[in-house]
Amino acid sequence: MIIAERKPMKELLGMISGVKRLLIVGCRGCVAVCSAGGDKEVSILAAALKLGVKKAGGDIEIDTDTLVRQCDPEYIEPLNDRGSDYDAVLSMACGVGVNFIGDRCPDVNVLPALNTTFYGANLSSGEWKEMCAGCGACVLHLTGGLCPVARCAKSLSNGPCGGSQGGRCEINPDVDCIWQQIYDKLASMNRKDELREIMPIRDWTTAGHGGPRRRIREDLLP
Amino acid sequence: MMAGSNLENVLRSGTFAVTGELGPPKSGDMEVVRKKARILKGHVDAVNITDCQTAIVRMSSLTAGLIALSEGVEPVMQMTCRDRNRIGMQADILGAAALGIKNLLCLTGDHQKFGNHPQAKGVFDMDSIQLLQMVKGMRDDKKFQCGEEIKKAEPRLFLGCAANPFADPFEFRPVRLAKKVEAGADFVQTQIIYNVEKFKKFMEMVRDLGVHEKCFILAGVTPPKSLGMARYMKKFVPGLDVTDEVIQRLADAKDQKEEGIDICVDIINQVREIPGVAGVHVMAIEWEEAVPEIVKRAGLADRPEPKGIEPVFTSTSAIDEAVEKARQEARLELQGELEKAQAEAQASRELVVKEKEKVASEISGLKKQIEEAKSMVSRKEAEIQKLTEQLQKTKKALEESSTSAASQVSTPQPAAQVQTETVSVASDALTAREKQVLDSLSKGLAALKEVLGLNDAQFEAMKRFLEAEFMLQLGTVVREVAAAPAAPEAPAPEPVAPAQAAAPAEAAPAPEAEAAPERPKEVVNLVAQGNVALHSKDYKKAVELFKKALEISPDDEKAKAGLEEARQALAEEKEAADKAVEVKEVEGLPPCPEEIDPEEWKQKWVVRFTARGNVALMKGDFEAAKKEFQKALELDPDNEKAKDGLKRAENKEDIYIPDVKPGEAAAAAPAPEAEAPKAEEKPAQEEKPAEPAPEEAKKAEEPAPKKEEPPKEEPAKPKPKVEMAAPAGEGVGDLGVAPLPKDEPPLEERAKGIPEDVYKEPCTGVIQSVTLGDGDKAMIVGGETALPFHTFEGDIPNLPRTAFEVLDAPPEEWPECLLKHYSDVVNDSAAWARKCVNEFGAEAICLSLDSTDPNGANVSSADAAQVAKKVIEAVDVPIILWGCGNAEKDTETLREITSLVENRNVCLGPLTDANYRTLGATAMAFQYPVVASTPIDVNLAKQLNILLENLGVHLDHILMDPSIGAVGYGLEYTYSVMERIRLAALTQQDEKLSPPIICNLGREVWKAKETRLPTDAELGDQERRGVLMEAITASTLLLAGGEVAIMRHPKAINLTKVLVEGML
Repeated sequence: MIIAERKPMKELLGMISGVKRLLIVGCRGCVAVCSAGGDKEVSILAAALKLGVKKAGGDIEIDTDTLVRQCDPEYIEPLNDRGSDYDAVLSMACGVGVNFIGDRCPDVNVLPALNTTFYGANLSSGEWKEMCAGCGACVLHLTGGLCPVARCAKSLSNGPCGGSQGGRCEINPDVDCIWQQIYDKLASMNRKDELREIMPIRDWTTAGHGGPRRRIREDLLP
Repeated sequence: MMAGSNLENVLRSGTFAVTGELGPPKSGDMEVVRKKARILKGHVDAVNITDCQTAIVRMSSLTAGLIALSEGVEPVMQMTCRDRNRIGMQADILGAAALGIKNLLCLTGDHQKFGNHPQAKGVFDMDSIQLLQMVKGMRDDKKFQCGEEIKKAEPRLFLGCAANPFADPFEFRPVRLAKKVEAGADFVQTQIIYNVEKFKKFMEMVRDLGVHEKCFILAGVTPPKSLGMARYMKKFVPGLDVTDEVIQRLADAKDQKEEGIDICVDIINQVREIPGVAGVHVMAIEWEEAVPEIVKRAGLADRPEPKGIEPVFTSTSAIDEAVEKARQEARLELQGELEKAQAEAQASRELVVKEKEKVASEISGLKKQIEEAKSMVSRKEAEIQKLTEQLQKTKKALEESSTSAASQVSTPQPAAQVQTETVSVASDALTAREKQVLDSLSKGLAALKEVLGLNDAQFEAMKRFLEAEFMLQLGTVVREVAAAPAAPEAPAPEPVAPAQAAAPAEAAPAPEAEAAPERPKEVVNLVAQGNVALHSKDYKKAVELFKKALEISPDDEKAKAGLEEARQALAEEKEAADKAVEVKEVEGLPPCPEEIDPEEWKQKWVVRFTARGNVALMKGDFEAAKKEFQKALELDPDNEKAKDGLKRAENKEDIYIPDVKPGEAAAAAPAPEAEAPKAEEKPAQEEKPAEPAPEEAKKAEEPAPKKEEPPKEEPAKPKPKVEMAAPAGEGVGDLGVAPLPKDEPPLEERAKGIPEDVYKEPCTGVIQSVTLGDGDKAMIVGGETALPFHTFEGDIPNLPRTAFEVLDAPPEEWPECLLKHYSDVVNDSAAWARKCVNEFGAEAICLSLDSTDPNGANVSSADAAQVAKKVIEAVDVPIILWGCGNAEKDTETLREITSLVENRNVCLGPLTDANYRTLGATAMAFQYPVVASTPIDVNLAKQLNILLENLGVHLDHILMDPSIGAVGYGLEYTYSVMERIRLAALTQQDEKLSPPIICNLGREVWKAKETRLPTDAELGDQERRGVLMEAITASTLLLAGGEVAIMRHPKAINLTKVLVEGML
């Protein structure tokens, strides 16, 4: 899931200064699950912004709506008409949604309400953690399903660096050393010897260093 | 051969290799690199040039490596994967190889988070193993990473990697090393080793994998520069295993640096024994000077002749510079030699002139003596002339009388024969006349004696001469007389007269001869001469003469007496001479030349020995220096310079001569010493210490100022007791602080028009009043009914107070800028406390019993109690006794102290949940206040108060210590806990939290890194920084509700007091 978090109020208020009519659009996808941009967050933000603008001596009219997803055309295209009635449309989706509205609705002044942070999982209520870097060249089969690209501070490929101590990463004692975990996992599966293999230097083109990525499935194309 | 580097040569030859480390500067200053390279040159086979270690921007390793190479030091260029992608790295590798770099150490690199640009994007295009693979491919397969061919001049590099045997997972470490070797590593340098046992295990596993046969393993070592550094590494450097033994060794060491070097050497010796270890990598971090000593002590000083170190790239300007520098050096050296020779020549010249002067003055002295002697002789001659004239007169008178006698008796009779047997021939009348003559003669002589001031002996001598002359003259005259008148008148019977005339000539006539026995004339003469010799101090001659006289006349009393006198005088003279000789040859000095006063000679040697001693001191040869100073003191036990020198030699302080360039120092230093051999070459000069010697000695002894200058603005005498209430300007000493202006109108005035209940929120609780100390200086803390400094809301009867912290043993880790205020008293806690009170106006003293810590010096409770007793007796201000924090030991120590000082009201602390029972009971028995100490938590603090109260300790005998964090080290946390405690006590009437709060903050502040880092441009002055940290921590904590602050720096305390005063 894509994890995101709301931008600070100050930044948002700055963004909408001068806006008289505002539409806040939520998303029931990932951001609703990670409590950043679902129905609930939309109504909270609307109230907060109203208060904030009032407090600053301004006046604003805010409408809200929450779409099923903002990453499919059928859900956002209606905005093309509706959105042009507003001075701005504040999207509470991840960056994908904001971009898509930007692409598809030329008359809409779209603004991001969230910072899109990472691909992560929900550890417990209120806690999410990065699990994948979307590097486009998955090696998880070699590492017991634990990603060294996303979860090692230096994205090492060949085992823990000299800063691994007591299962913790040297950059922060709250961070696990993923290579220790990989080692333990493979050891428990009697696959320790696989770590003797040198993992060759990576090809980062799939990780975005080869330019914007796209995926095509011929069989599904219209 | 992979690359033909010196390191590769050494390792392949089987020699135990030594590599060093050189951290490039955080600037473009090439000299820093050069200087470090020069220190390491010749002591190691190659030097690692770090690549922005700990992710701090520094001169690039490639550049610094080239500079090192130009100094003739072989670099091992380090390359990390953090800052460049494969394009940048390969480009740098090609460049490095082109410019003569032959060793490359491949690392992943420290994460950018640790450095000074944590916001940077970490590249990590590959890891260290992949980097090794890539470079190996470039070298061996002549291919770039992408597979494209390197058409010519592929980089020939000897490849290294790092290994950390102390990181986790331990079992994987040898495997990872094996991977690195497989990827291309030719050699490996390990992380710093302190835990040799663990390293041995690691090596065992490495050998099991056979890795030691495929690459050279160099064990990493680092001399810990101080206890602080060792502790820091143990705590904060990930993957570094500093053993307790190392910490202990440093803690026990007198000289931590020295011990650090020893520890390093011990580790080298241990790892050498481990199979598979091919060398050591000595990382003396910012302590390059230690490397030569370490290498020497480890017996590795003989490095193989370097091979293959050829700087490829040297700019013409560098060559010009080097040539110019060499020229300059040669010139300086020559000039030094010249000056030295000139100085020596000048000194010799001066010496010769002095000699000449001395000889000249001696000659003129002798001349004068001769003149005197001459004038004496002429005077004597004149006297003799006079006497002769008198004699002539007398003679004439005698002639007349004898003529008449002859005419009367017709037998010529010499007058002198009156008393002899022949006199019988003479008539009575004649005898009477002669008597008259003789009488007047003797009277004349007596008068003469008086006139000439002769003493008896001289007079005697004179008389004898005259007598002798008289006798001789008279005989002739008588004969003449007898012959002459007899011819014309009545010729005397011829045979008789001459016979009779001859007979008296043999006799020794004397006017006083009546009583005297008959003495031969010769004897008389000899005795007379003897007496003369005696009085002209020629005792030897006198003795000889008297002896001769006695040979002739053994019983002659006068001769005997004279001989006796002469002998005695001779003996005396000899004794004196012996004495003189004795003085001349004191204590084995070369014999004193005659023209020099022995005492002066001695002094010259004192100066010479002192000078030699100082030279030895300067060279650091303390033993030799000691000997020289001792010699000087043997000659002159009171010589201050020699005493001072001896002390320095014993303390092993060398003399620091500021701003002496090496050339000059070399010229100056040997001078005093060269003096002695010179004396041998030129015997003429042997007599005196050459003049330059004392001068040099002086130069050496003179100021010898310490290198460190007092860093800043506040040295000098602190003004005793800064009066806080004094008007601005008056209380400002160097450590003093001007009071804050108090010109604001009171709050009531400023808030006029606003209803009081809007801004006032009066409290309902009250803080306990606790009395510390006794007598006049007792102080009450607490007692307020308002939040800190909220004077408008309630009563704040007592100011927050400060206490000076005094340690029971010299502080180990106080920074110099703090310690200097107490440096004269650190060895005597009582004097320290007195100084705080008398000089800095301390209101209270907190004696920290740190030395009792079982994990530290572990001083016995009894000994600590004696120290505490002295401190308590030394001052009359309140005393807080603060234990070492070990519950058991503190119980023991504090009880011991209370048994010694029961009649003084001291405050005991810290009481924790582990020892509150025992100490609480003790305190209760003596009605002492206590410090209840808890780890930053409101509930724990409250709980301990309740426990103490249950025990019977009243809340007004408790001070709460909520545990303190200094600014930057958890101050916020402390602040909020204290604030909550205060709010609970004052607004929620939580009585159990109502005791005053004591903040032992000095120790927290002064252990923070920020107070320990030296003065530099970025962080500013160290002392100022420390003072501000302490004062800010204190004032913040007082704002949060603290009532007593235990602090260290006098200026920080004054600042805090002024703030308190200014806010109330």
